[in-house]
Amino acid sequence: MSSTGKDHIIKSYDSELSRLTGEIVRMGELSVSQLESAIDVIGRRDERAARRVVDNDEAIDHLEQEISHDVVRLLALRAPMAGDLRNVFAALRIAADIERIGDYAANVAKRSIPLSMMPPIPPTKGLDYLAELAAEEVRDVLKAYHEQDAERAYQVWKDDAELDEAYTGYFRQLLTYMMEDPRNITPCTHLLFMAKNIERIGDHATNIAESVWYQVHGEPLTKQRPNRDLTSSPESVNLGDKPAK
Amino acid sequence: MSAAGIYLRRRITNVGALIFGSLATALGLLFLVWILWVTISNGISSIHLNLFTKITAYADQGGLSNAIVGSLIMDLMALLICAPIGVMAGTYLAEYANRTRLGSSIRFLNDILLSAPSIVMGLFVYVIIVLPMSNMTHGNISFSGFAGGVALALIGLPVIVRTTDEMLQLVPGTLREAALSLGVPQWKLTVQVLIRAASSGILTGILLALARLAGETAPLLFTAFGNNFMTLHPLDKMASLPIAIYQYTNDPSPAMHSIAWAGALLITLFVLALSLLTRLLFSRKKVSYE
Amino acid sequence: MNDLAAAIAAPLADVQENTKIKVRDVHFYYSGFQALKGVSMDIPEKQVTAIIGPSGCGKSTLLRIFNRIYAIYPKLEATGTIELDGENILDPGYSMNRLRSKVGMVFQKPVPFPMTIFENVAYGIRHHEKLSKPVMADRVEQALRSAALWDEVKDKLKQNALGLSGGQQQRLCIARAIALKPEVLLLDEPTSALDPIATSRIEQLVEELKSEYTIVIVTHNMQQAARVSDCTGFMYIGELIEFGNTEKIFTKPDKKQTEDYITGRFG
Repeated sequence: MSSTGKDHIIKSYDSELSRLTGEIVRMGELSVSQLESAIDVIGRRDERAARRVVDNDEAIDHLEQEISHDVVRLLALRAPMAGDLRNVFAALRIAADIERIGDYAANVAKRSIPLSMMPPIPPTKGLDYLAELAAEEVRDVLKAYHEQDAERAYQVWKDDAELDEAYTGYFRQLLTYMMEDPRNITPCTHLLFMAKNIERIGDHATNIAESVWYQVHGEPLTKQRPNRDLTSSPESVNLGDKPAK
Repeated sequence: MSAAGIYLRRRITNVGALIFGSLATALGLLFLVWILWVTISNGISSIHLNLFTKITAYADQGGLSNAIVGSLIMDLMALLICAPIGVMAGTYLAEYANRTRLGSSIRFLNDILLSAPSIVMGLFVYVIIVLPMSNMTHGNISFSGFAGGVALALIGLPVIVRTTDEMLQLVPGTLREAALSLGVPQWKLTVQVLIRAASSGILTGILLALARLAGETAPLLFTAFGNNFMTLHPLDKMASLPIAIYQYTNDPSPAMHSIAWAGALLITLFVLALSLLTRLLFSRKKVSYE
Repeated sequence: MNDLAAAIAAPLADVQENTKIKVRDVHFYYSGFQALKGVSMDIPEKQVTAIIGPSGCGKSTLLRIFNRIYAIYPKLEATGTIELDGENILDPGYSMNRLRSKVGMVFQKPVPFPMTIFENVAYGIRHHEKLSKPVMADRVEQALRSAALWDEVKDKLKQNALGLSGGQQQRLCIARAIALKPEVLLLDEPTSALDPIATSRIEQLVEELKSEYTIVIVTHNMQQAARVSDCTGFMYIGELIEFGNTEKIFTKPDKKQTEDYITGRFG
């Protein structure tokens, strides 16, 4: 991925850099499909499929190691400068974020196993929406990365507020269920953790967006971002009595 | 043609070139060694004390002492004249007139002087020194050691100019820039840095010039003329080894011939010693700017 | 101009931000050929400024105008102004002696004079000042210490400088230049003839010297520019394409040409 359109004088440098980009994109695709499978597994209450998702996480971890290795190699042997340096640096950071996204997806799948052993409860459906938002974010930000589209990355970064908001709403919904019937507490807690995991995926998507922004512009993304996950703010401790706005 | 064929042809060409080269070298060396051998074998028998103590006036009973002394005086005189002028002129060419039109014209003329026949130098000095001095002394033709020295100096001068010029040009330009960037003026730079840096080369040039003029006969014929008696006076006719050899070889007596051979051997050894000395000087200062 | 201002803002807060050499619209002609085309830059005081660029871009030419060493060759001409502490050094009235005592230079190849180590350092001083023997000895020691060479040569000051190793010779040349107590030190590819260890020594030395001298270094080695300099200028075919903070130049240059050169995409 040449930032100025020209190739390097040393040809193999180009192929190493594009290999790195390819690995990131592949890793991202894997993480998105992991997330989608995890959600699918919850709906199907399929324990074996869930275990398969958990096991698949290893592939992502493996790719991340490969990227780390490639990055160290590039730094040591090519001494990248300017755009190349930002490219390599962003790749390292993005790989770490994707790896975390993969972990969260696997976590969601893991929690779906005990959940599938309990009687189904209605709020499970709400998780789909969250997951869809998160997957959309990750897909978008990867596209932004692939196309070096800082504006698109910035859009993702801004849009994460939507996911945060959805999470806050879902949180409140779960609380209601738990207060309604203490037997719901166990499955709802699982769902809460899963929701938090998905919300965290969104955060990593914004991290990736920041890396893309840095890669393109050479400076950090410092614009003010609305954060509407209010579940940890002091007033929300008062469990849903007050609408958090 | 197949690869093996090409390789074979190359090997044959290589061997052929090697053989021709070696033969040519051997031929050249053969004559060199031959000349040395003839000189030594003929000269060595006549080298005895008389050669250094007796003067040429005793003919076949004598020696070459006046010729040796005369040669040394005139060579020294020549060196005293041409070394300073040559070094200064060479410095001018390399440091001040380099890449100017005047500089290249002087260089061209110097090269002509370098290859001019030495008899011309003798005649030139005859005209500008010997004849005017003869007029002053009422018609006696005033051959003198001084005139001989000047003629020899004219032989040595272009050699020294040329080597000084070349040696100074070999000094890296950054050395000049380094000194100038310290604010050192050009003359100080030239005298204290550049000539010092090129000193072994310049000295070599002077010794080479000396070796060259030590063997010259022609310029002395019309200038120093020759003398059968010992003299230290520079305005007297003066004997010299090359002239003595020239005269002795024209003599029918075999005894005279062998003295001439001894003289030739002396000159040869002197030049050989000078060459060895220059070699020594040049190799000792091998720490250079490369 | 904004970039320039930003560039001069040093990364460290306590570094002075005075301009030592103010270059304005400098053109340079080399028997008809134009080697520099309107170069303007502000070289900050007591910092290291690196000039990089491909061969023949004019970076050495620019450096050689800063002490007017080009003037020793005929048919070279520089126009524009170069102000050293506010005085135009291209003004014919500016004393050459004064300029050369203020601006020292070290060359690509180490070229010690054919003298002893001591004399090499003392030689330049003698031309500018009359010093008594002990004072001179002191001065020479100081210069050799500043050039991080003293410990290696203190026992052989009377030996010929040509016997030193290449790296030592180059540090001797630096000592020779700083012995005059200049204000500006020009380094013209000072490590291109040295091995990596000797190169590191020189780079460390540059780092140490910048607290006292304004240093301008021309280098082919981009990594070296990145390692030692505070500001970097990129030149291409006689023009200063970009000049700014070194960190900025090597992470996010503004100009495409700079980026292409730095990342190895030239040609």
